[in-house]
Amino acid sequence: MSEALLRLDRVNTFYGPVQVHFDLSLQVGRGRIVSLLGGNASGKSTTMKIILGLLAPRSGTVEFDGARIDGWPTHRVIRAGIGSVPEARRIFPLMSVRENLLMGAYGRADRKAVGEDLERMLTLFPRVAERINQRAGVLSGGEQQMLAMARALMGRPRLILMDEPTMGLSPLFVDRVLELIAEINRQGVTVFMVEQNANLALQIAHEGYVLQTGRIVLQGAAALLRGDPRIREAYLGGAAAA
Amino acid sequence: MSSFIDYTVNGLVVGNIYALLAVGLALIFGVANLINFAHGSVYTFGAYIGWAAVTFLHTPLPVTMLIVFVACAGLGVVIERVGLRPLQGKARIAPLLATIGLSFVLDQLVQLVFSPDPRAVPSDLPDWRLAVGDGSIGAMDILIAAVGLASAALLYVFLRFTKLGFAVRATAQDREAAQQMGVNVDAVNSAVFAIASALGGLSGLLVGMYYNHIDPAMSFQATLKGVVAQVIGGVGNVPGAIVGSLLLGLTESYGIALLGTTYRNLFAFVLLIAFLLWLPNGLFGGRATIQSEPLVGSFIAPSRPIRLPRWAVAALALAAFALPLATSAPYLLQTLTNAWLAAMLALSLTLIAGTAGQISFGHAGLLAIGGYASALLALDLGAPPILSIPAAGLITAGLGALLVFPAFRLRGHYIAIATLAIGEIVSLVILNWEGLTGGAMGLTGIPPLSFLGQDIFSNRAIYWLCLAIVVSLAALQARFLNSHFGRTLRAVREDEIAARSYGIKLDRYKGLAFAFGGFGAGVSGAIAAHLYSYLNNQTFDSQLSLLALTMVILGGMGNVLGAIVGAVALVGLPELFRVAAEYRILIYGVVLLLLIRFRPQGLLGTV
Amino acid sequence: MAPLLDIRGLTRRFGGVVAVKALDLTVGEGEFVSLIGPNGAGKTTTFNMISGLERLDGGEVRFAGRSIQGLTPEAIAALGLARTFQHGRVFANLSVEDNVLLGAHTRLRAVKPRLPVIGPLAELVLALVRPPAVKKEEQALKAEAREILNLFGERLTPRLDHPAYSLSYANRRRVEIARALALRPRLLLLDEPTAGMNPTETAEMQALIATLKGRGVTILLIEHKLDLVMQLSDRVYVLDDGVKIAEGPPEKVRNDPAVIEAYLGHREIGRAASSVEVVAS
Repeated sequence: MSEALLRLDRVNTFYGPVQVHFDLSLQVGRGRIVSLLGGNASGKSTTMKIILGLLAPRSGTVEFDGARIDGWPTHRVIRAGIGSVPEARRIFPLMSVRENLLMGAYGRADRKAVGEDLERMLTLFPRVAERINQRAGVLSGGEQQMLAMARALMGRPRLILMDEPTMGLSPLFVDRVLELIAEINRQGVTVFMVEQNANLALQIAHEGYVLQTGRIVLQGAAALLRGDPRIREAYLGGAAAA
Repeated sequence: MSSFIDYTVNGLVVGNIYALLAVGLALIFGVANLINFAHGSVYTFGAYIGWAAVTFLHTPLPVTMLIVFVACAGLGVVIERVGLRPLQGKARIAPLLATIGLSFVLDQLVQLVFSPDPRAVPSDLPDWRLAVGDGSIGAMDILIAAVGLASAALLYVFLRFTKLGFAVRATAQDREAAQQMGVNVDAVNSAVFAIASALGGLSGLLVGMYYNHIDPAMSFQATLKGVVAQVIGGVGNVPGAIVGSLLLGLTESYGIALLGTTYRNLFAFVLLIAFLLWLPNGLFGGRATIQSEPLVGSFIAPSRPIRLPRWAVAALALAAFALPLATSAPYLLQTLTNAWLAAMLALSLTLIAGTAGQISFGHAGLLAIGGYASALLALDLGAPPILSIPAAGLITAGLGALLVFPAFRLRGHYIAIATLAIGEIVSLVILNWEGLTGGAMGLTGIPPLSFLGQDIFSNRAIYWLCLAIVVSLAALQARFLNSHFGRTLRAVREDEIAARSYGIKLDRYKGLAFAFGGFGAGVSGAIAAHLYSYLNNQTFDSQLSLLALTMVILGGMGNVLGAIVGAVALVGLPELFRVAAEYRILIYGVVLLLLIRFRPQGLLGTV
Repeated sequence: MAPLLDIRGLTRRFGGVVAVKALDLTVGEGEFVSLIGPNGAGKTTTFNMISGLERLDGGEVRFAGRSIQGLTPEAIAALGLARTFQHGRVFANLSVEDNVLLGAHTRLRAVKPRLPVIGPLAELVLALVRPPAVKKEEQALKAEAREILNLFGERLTPRLDHPAYSLSYANRRRVEIARALALRPRLLLLDEPTAGMNPTETAEMQALIATLKGRGVTILLIEHKLDLVMQLSDRVYVLDDGVKIAEGPPEKVRNDPAVIEAYLGHREIGRAASSVEVVAS
């Protein structure tokens, strides 16, 4: 396995009195696509919040590129080289598409390079380019997903976090989004994605982790997980005995 | 002033002043989801800084404006630091209460430093007036218009074209997403408070120059006007705030032309209520209302209330009853009697705001209704107090529930604003309905408390009477909190959607809460009326509403014993320790701030 | 006999997006029906429309022989419909017991007399006076609440007076179901009752739901855990993108390729898959 760009080590998280993560450990190798799978309320999105510093773990560590980032405020985490495609996209609905993209480059001072990246994004995401001057709120779900991805890339991240990138999209857009994730990764960006749609995620991921009520119950190479009957059981199966 | 043009010019000028306030409130609401009740205090602070600069340093106008701008921006940063930042992740109402605490502190400090007397702000503007039709425009009008326009233009450029402006808009639209773009939202909040406060301060300075009058008590009304303008334009909407302000200014000005100056505020608040009910998103409310999340424990701080054993409560009550036997010091007894009257109010509020979750900012309005009802029954119909007081309680129960009824569908911040406005409206109706209430002159010669034709003047007797009422009200309240009815009220507070899905009719229970609470508050107001023998529209003012809220928070929201403890602590103790009057509000403000920060569940815990 | 719940042409739009499109669905008295499909398929929106929280843009909902669209949620609850919520909506600061007791709100008679106009005032006065009839009703209800909580074994009974916010995620879901049972529903809507539960807890929940089914409770279930759905359901509806793509007995639905694709994701993802091959090689 390649060197880890992101590493979570024995993370325990609580919402008030309720524990969400139990000794959660995982790592994301440089240049890889890693997928975190699990059903509703398994703790996937909370994992993203922990990495982004939106929530502090009660114990355990988060390391990015060798530096401990748990306890950092979110803006510092982002500026360290992490891009985020949040769950449900969370584009800025009243800003134009262009303004949304510029927000993605908020932490950058190199105006000229930002302009070049903007052009690059428009080539990579032609659907977004068509809408450049419209208010982002009027875009369709799929277009908003593309915009959210482009926006995250505008920060020139080394690691991009994607929370359920295919949720609520039509099949056509699902394919397109997966293609783009693979493309982004090919261009050198490490991808860590949370997905509920197991088959989808494992098609493009290199490695996968399966989360169940806050615990990793299965992990390994995507190719192996794909054929593993336990994944269906652990993930959709419900009663384990069945 | 006489012509239509004059009234129009006046309306636009006042509207511009409101706009400088409202734009700041809108910016703050946008990024922080907070109605900043300290905003009016910044406005007053700005006016006084400007007055001091002109009076002591003889600064020319541009320099004065600069000084005000910078000083108020600094104050804004402080407000954000104290009132907002430490409270993130706490109950959503917490920052709002904190800004109320801050406004107490700031107003009182201004009063201590500059004295409560009104001041005139000298202006070095030329005296000419330009004739327009049958009216005229003066240099001051033009200055205010220019400042208003220039601020709007600068704000537009800032929001549209600067990096920080982008961050402000992004934060307003989606705070968490903005963070995930690398925006330091704390810094954005700080910047927004600075800008908003600088504009608010300028507004205060201009108002001082325009009316040639400033005084430390003008804060609260300023905040309210800013809030009204914002609601008209859509809360959090910056251009909306400007339009809303101009509309409000014009409405007030034309209203005064038709009916007289005492109607000014009535127009503002009626407009506010109308918008809350029929156009809650304001004139430009394109933004769809977001289904509010369940307030899973975020509304009040979850806690395990401290439960005193029954014998201890009984012992406390007995001690309170026995006190007049041990001492007859009139000062002590009168002070505690005031505390018992406050306790009736606090019991009422803790039921409505704490148990049923309907934060009421206008509770003094219920006192006023009760006070006037009993006084008028006694004066006009010759009813003895023993009848007029309970009757006043019932009238307040009915009228209170009825007045707030249209606001029952509002939630969170909006119910707070609506009750605040309803409280103000009650006071303004009293002011303007001279035939019934005597208007600003008030009612005099209200008969004293009496029993079977025998007047009661003894401090002891009055003390016992009030205490007995407090104890009975508290016992009743505690009794039904333990019933299915109490359980239902708390369910309404916790999650309206879930409550409705289990067959709970919200209006019915909110109405009953206001009715029961209204009774207690009405009785308190009625007794006070007979004790004071005099009432006017300012006897029960909005400051009393906010003080009641502080008592309730101090004791623990929804906590029956806590309400009494809170009332005794805030009304009784300062009096007993003879704290000078001018420091009392300061103490209330500090107590409120400390509570929200360090013990949001209050002394005895929320129930 | 007409089905207990009879939905025809149910439609809901949000902005330009059609969340639920012309859905027909029935649940017969005593039947166990499941509604499955990927996230965002429109399942919860359907629940919201049935229970009166969301308005209909088209279609009709009939429950127990009468049309219920346009009724308030509280009126629908009074007709005997109880539901749980996807993310759990317990009354957080109220105790476990209080939560369950509130479930019976619509059934109270002595506490909440059905009098016109003065009903609310009578309720207030009765809460203060508490005559024997009221006391008796409250006692009976408490006993019933214990019985319901006993269904969950030792999970909730030791925590009767704990505030709901202090419970684990799984326990909060149990409290919600207990609250729903206290309404003695003619129809019970369960929205993902096993979300956030581990296999042991899921098996326990499955056993509980099977018990309810055995007692003849009519249930409409939203659930992602297919084994549970397949074992318990009489019939299954599959929703994707707001559209019903399959319905029928579990064994039929289980092998429907359209269902497998919609629910588990696409087996073939065309060019995306091939481009990954390139990266991998």
